[in-house]
Amino acid sequence: MAVVLEQEVKKDEYVAGFDEAAFRALANEAETSALRELRELRFDEYRAVPLPTKKMEEWRRTDPARFPFDRMKRLPTIPRGVCAPHDWDELFDVVVSVEDAAFDIQDRGGVLGDGKVLVVPLEEALREHADRIRPFLEKRARAEAPDKYEVLGDAFWNVGLFIHIAPGVDLKRGILLRYRQSGAGGILIPRILVAVGERSNAVLVESMESPDGVEMMSVVSREFHVAEGAKLHSTTLRTWGDRTVHLAGDWARIGRDARLEWITLNFGGRLTKVRFGSDGAAPGANAELDGLFFASDEQHVDQKTLQVHSSPDTYSRLLYKGVAKDKAYSVYQGQIIARPGAIRVDAYQRNNNLVLNDGARADSMPGLQIDADDLKCSHGSTVGNLDEDEIFYLRCRGIDEGTARKTLIRGFFEDVTGRIPHECVRKVVHSQVDAKIG
Amino acid sequence: MSEQSTEQILADSEYKYGFVTDVEADTIPMGLNEDIIRMLSGKKGEPEWMLEWRLKAYRWWLKMKEPRWANLDFPPIDFQAIRYYSAPKQRSETEIDPELQKTFERLGIPLHERNRLEGVAVDAVFDSVSVATTHKEMLKEKGVIFCSFSEAIREHPDLVKKYMGTVVPYTDNYYAALNAAVFSDGSFCYIPKGVRCPIELSTYFRINAMETGQFERTLIVAEDDSYVSYLEGCTAPLRDRNQLHAAVVELIAMENAQIKYATVQNWYAGDKDGKGGIYNFVTKRGHCKGRNSKISWTQVEAGSAITWKYPGCVLEGDNSVGEFYSVALTNNKMQADTGTKMIHIGNNTRSTIVSKGISAGESNNTYRSLLQILPDAKNCRNHTQCDSMLIGSLCKANTFPNIEAENGSAVLEHEATTSRISEEQLFYLKCRGIKEEDAVSLVVNGFCKEVLKQLPLEFAVEAIKLLEMKLDKSVG
Repeated sequence: MAVVLEQEVKKDEYVAGFDEAAFRALANEAETSALRELRELRFDEYRAVPLPTKKMEEWRRTDPARFPFDRMKRLPTIPRGVCAPHDWDELFDVVVSVEDAAFDIQDRGGVLGDGKVLVVPLEEALREHADRIRPFLEKRARAEAPDKYEVLGDAFWNVGLFIHIAPGVDLKRGILLRYRQSGAGGILIPRILVAVGERSNAVLVESMESPDGVEMMSVVSREFHVAEGAKLHSTTLRTWGDRTVHLAGDWARIGRDARLEWITLNFGGRLTKVRFGSDGAAPGANAELDGLFFASDEQHVDQKTLQVHSSPDTYSRLLYKGVAKDKAYSVYQGQIIARPGAIRVDAYQRNNNLVLNDGARADSMPGLQIDADDLKCSHGSTVGNLDEDEIFYLRCRGIDEGTARKTLIRGFFEDVTGRIPHECVRKVVHSQVDAKIG
Repeated sequence: MSEQSTEQILADSEYKYGFVTDVEADTIPMGLNEDIIRMLSGKKGEPEWMLEWRLKAYRWWLKMKEPRWANLDFPPIDFQAIRYYSAPKQRSETEIDPELQKTFERLGIPLHERNRLEGVAVDAVFDSVSVATTHKEMLKEKGVIFCSFSEAIREHPDLVKKYMGTVVPYTDNYYAALNAAVFSDGSFCYIPKGVRCPIELSTYFRINAMETGQFERTLIVAEDDSYVSYLEGCTAPLRDRNQLHAAVVELIAMENAQIKYATVQNWYAGDKDGKGGIYNFVTKRGHCKGRNSKISWTQVEAGSAITWKYPGCVLEGDNSVGEFYSVALTNNKMQADTGTKMIHIGNNTRSTIVSKGISAGESNNTYRSLLQILPDAKNCRNHTQCDSMLIGSLCKANTFPNIEAENGSAVLEHEATTSRISEEQLFYLKCRGIKEEDAVSLVVNGFCKEVLKQLPLEFAVEAIKLLEMKLDKSVG
């Protein structure tokens, strides 16, 4: 629930550079009428959502004015082309690479041939697979009022992707989505729509990176639909460069007896504000959400999670673990929302924070919003430093203090890192953690 | 509504304090402006400095906007339709009107110093003024000052000037500013150095007149090495119009001092359809100023159409301790947005929060808190336990804690649960021949035990009865 501290909501306000004129220019370049209509529809929605202000509860700790929209420009719509290869490419069935000037879809495992698995640009999906994409354009995954930047992504995306997996497909090696942004002053706006069909099994890994020292921005908007009896395992790894600003709004809608496992790993970026929500939309829906973040230097990381239960007999479990070091500021806002009638819901939310030194700051705002009675919802949250007794214990055994601290921090993260199924991702996490501990 | 029908409602209602006392009242015209404040101040025979302070607060209030961020739904309040002063006419300085005496006896509050609650000194506040304060002489021997706020302004102006508004300044919030401008009475309590207050102090607030608001102010100062335990109780008649109660409570604890503040709030909550009832918008804050000081808040919030308050502690002195124990029960269409604020400024400061919310009927019960560790506060510790129980399928329970740690040495733990009253436990009790309603109240008592055990015995017994009464007919 977006609590507005003072009623000063205005409509028809635009994010700098994303106004009516900019939209008209964009709409005119649309190749097909379907694409144009979709953008128009989304632009109207965008226009109706008020701009966030510091007075809104969700934005109190991250001033929306800090996002440098005025200094940056939307990258032109990205065409298909050839992208640089990566070590990980071999490990997946499908590899999608997104760079500033080109994006590429490679069928490494030969899974796209029979049409059961569809990985196509949004415009192509609208043109050639209208019947498959249509239901997901109408039925949104968002279970709460969207944020201005989520709807900005819907209307102004410069790279759009539709992933559709037909019923009964087991895509074991999964799909890799790699974003490598490099140009200064550009705003990358990926819009990703993923639909996993009944009883299918899919794995998705997203890796987001950019070089250090270059100021740029990305605004990601994603929607995931997990149909009856399906399973989606998604990993999001963010290792943005030290001057990248990142905004994301993600929603997953989980169907009957379906399961979503989502691991979020946040390391890079100067300023990050991400919002992620899961919606248990039918009985038996199950969401397992894990997150890990390590903020150091002057990083600002603000994360909001929403565990919505709109149907009875749904389950969700969330674990977010974070470390704040140096002058970093981390914010975790979590909300469990049980809608009226959502009985026999079982939801848990846990947020553990380590604040390693004075000057670093961690805010934790776990929340429960319960409108039904026969259920069990709980949350736990802790903030603290490393346990001196544990350090002492290790030192007594001849381990020097630095190594002891490192071991304990690694151990602290183990609950989450242990759940990452991909060796390659785990390696990056370990090296990032070690580098940040210093 | 005629008196007759009120009596009829009373007969059927669970709210047994909803009667009206027929006393002649001394009131001032409705509305709010500088002249009204001058008139109010004049009626109380206040010195010039007090009036100046009120006017400053009023001017500040005019510049403020009514806050709306709480998770509460209520129509705009017309501040001009409130009578800001209403006092029962006293016959003489020393005698208490027999009608008033009867009222307080019906409420179980002894104004004569011979009743069953012998160990408690009472300050009884009726509408805008304090009508009696008991045990004064005995307290005086110990050097404890316990009197109405008006009396304190007259008799102890230096103390009032020194402490009033230091914890909750009139600039603090909208309702605190309004209170500072128009407060009519309240209690003042001063415990000198090294004194352990021999008896419990207590204030009983009663709203009687129609269309009035009650704006009282309580100030408790505990000097070095002193101790005081203070209780507060509140009731109001059944009325189909909403009435505003905007109080300010300030507590100040010096070195090694300890203040325990307990509230059992049972303002009229409106009828089953949410008509009438008190808006209870209160600012309560304690300041642990000295080293090793301790302030403990205990509240049982069982009444009011709307409760909106966050009793908090500013932990400034090193090693100081803040505690908050709360039971908030909402039924029918009641709304509550309550919790606490713990601001850790000093080193090694500790705070404990235990909050139990019970929602029944179609009520909306929100726990909201702020736990803040300032950058220079080393080795702070907090433990928060926050549970909600749901009875019935139409009620709502929300939890919105805010935890801000700006110092790396803090250790903070927060835990919250929301669940329905356990069917298994009810079944177990029912199997043993206990009626469903009794079983519910047993389970609820167990749920609230941690908080209730903080209350002095007589109050704990009353609080349990109150919870039982409030939950009556909400099961099944």
